[in-house]
Amino acid sequence: MAALPVPVPSVKMAAVEKRRPAVAPAASFTDNGRPSVSRAQAAAENEEDFLRQVGVTEMLRAALLKVLEARPEEPIAFLAHYFENMGLRSPASGGAGEPPGQLLLQQQRLGRALWHLRLAHHSQRTAFNNNVSVAYECLSAGGRRKRPGLDGRTYSELLKRICRDGEAPEEVVAPLLRKIQCRDHEAVPRGVFRAGMLTCFVLLDFVARAGALFRLLEAPGLAVADRRVGQAVLDTLEGALGAGDHTAVPACYLEAGSRLGPDSLALALDRAATGRRPSSPMSREEFLEKAAALFIAKVKPVG
Amino acid sequence: MLSPERLALPDYEYLAQRHVLTYMEDAVCQLLENREDISQYGIARFFTEYFTSVCQGTHILFREFSFIQATPHNRASFLRAFWRCFRTVGKNGDLLTMKEYHCLLQLLCPDFPLELTQKAARIVLMDDAMDCLMSFSDFLFAFQIQFYYSEFLDSVAAIYQDLLSGKNPNTVIVPTSFSGQHRQRPALGEAGMLEGVEASLFYQCLENLCDRHKYSCPPPALVKEVLSNVQRLTFYGFLVALSKHHGINQALGALPDKGDLMHDPAMDEELERLLVQVPGLVNSATPEASCLPSRIPPRVGSPWRPLHHSRKVDAESDGSTEETDESET
Repeated sequence: MAALPVPVPSVKMAAVEKRRPAVAPAASFTDNGRPSVSRAQAAAENEEDFLRQVGVTEMLRAALLKVLEARPEEPIAFLAHYFENMGLRSPASGGAGEPPGQLLLQQQRLGRALWHLRLAHHSQRTAFNNNVSVAYECLSAGGRRKRPGLDGRTYSELLKRICRDGEAPEEVVAPLLRKIQCRDHEAVPRGVFRAGMLTCFVLLDFVARAGALFRLLEAPGLAVADRRVGQAVLDTLEGALGAGDHTAVPACYLEAGSRLGPDSLALALDRAATGRRPSSPMSREEFLEKAAALFIAKVKPVG
Repeated sequence: MLSPERLALPDYEYLAQRHVLTYMEDAVCQLLENREDISQYGIARFFTEYFTSVCQGTHILFREFSFIQATPHNRASFLRAFWRCFRTVGKNGDLLTMKEYHCLLQLLCPDFPLELTQKAARIVLMDDAMDCLMSFSDFLFAFQIQFYYSEFLDSVAAIYQDLLSGKNPNTVIVPTSFSGQHRQRPALGEAGMLEGVEASLFYQCLENLCDRHKYSCPPPALVKEVLSNVQRLTFYGFLVALSKHHGINQALGALPDKGDLMHDPAMDEELERLLVQVPGLVNSATPEASCLPSRIPPRVGSPWRPLHHSRKVDAESDGSTEETDESET
């Protein structure tokens, strides 16, 4: 069994406390130990009552809904993380002892919001939107010394954390953060928050794809690509993105797709490679930065 | 990363396919049996530990058989646990009987049925001389096939019997050109002349079976590979071929390749570390035992002595029918 060397959390179950102020029924059960006498119907009823009283029924229902919403590839691992997160936050918020400091509380809030945001990939839009709402509520909940609402500082901090965990180089995502950040003391409305989160996750995916693209271009052994080839790919990408310039016409997607199709890309690569002049190499960072810039140019700044 | 078909399934099918409800139900049962624990540690922590152990495959240890065989993941976990717990048996080169392997299995699963161990032993011993000694790896790989594909093999046995007695489980069967050379359906009395059934015919039946089988079965392409190498084969011949097939072992994913079976440096180190702490176990052999990377640790002073019983002497003389793996790799 996985033995966790974690210090024993407070004896009172936080979850129980939240739901039922009276812990008495649960406690009396545990006193009985395991009654081998009553394995009959009474026991079954008692078990159901017990599960309901200590909140297991509700907890599992919520977990199952989350699983169905996110449809993870590995639902069991998903559940392990789900309950781990729940366990981490309950002793702190409901347990005895002195209240955690303001800074710690803030970190916990951020962690919880991040966890909700990552439950579902942004392509599962309904699930993602739900999770964004929950994250927003996590962050904007009022506290002892905190007024309800989400301020710009927390929002920026969250964006930074997402980008940092997304393993995208800082200089690549920095322009985006500059564009969608809010001022520290500004209140962040729900719409802005949602758009910001979505943009950030989409950019991270975009950068990951660009990274994969660069791996195809780079010369084996050397960690660089030919500048002419790299530039040709970037130009093609730019052309494709430019084609659908803020028009909501579906045809622009088709056009962009065709510009990125193998034919047109091959042509561009061919043209680039025929120029015989020796060129300087292009590094991965440079390629990613330029590719991300194309994306970020399309993002409307906040405010 | 995202497998789209998962998202298109109806909720219930998605849950069933990944056995989510099986584990949730079991988690609740475990929770009810351990009420004392949850009042101490909290429900969330209980569930965290439960689902983490399911991921790690340690959840099947000492559980009842019905649970151990409930899902493919449980079966694979049990196989891995059996291998990791008792691979030292193989390392010491001990040969054990079917009953002894059964005792080992029961250490991990108290109500493990004898029948299944017997079936596995039949694969190794080709259905005779059931009190013979077997090497660990032979038994393990045979047991893997028998345990993991249990339901599939039951159906295969039925098909085989039908074919043998001249009944044809599939109505649409075109005799191949090969079968013309032999007499097509050997009557039971002629078993001495033509043993087993014809491989291509057998494969056609199995292919059908794989298509409609709701339990796990080995990848059909690999079954085909096994059967395409021979013209005729017996039921146990087929099982032996399955159990020795690398690809099937890999597809199943519970055990390493046969060559790496005894190789687990991290575990060895851990074992050594623990053994040093046990007074009286490691005595004069300590300097030897500490030079670990040798594949066959010194027999003297081995803590696994208790398994290594007086039959050992026999084993070395009449164990010649077995493959002893140490010499192979």
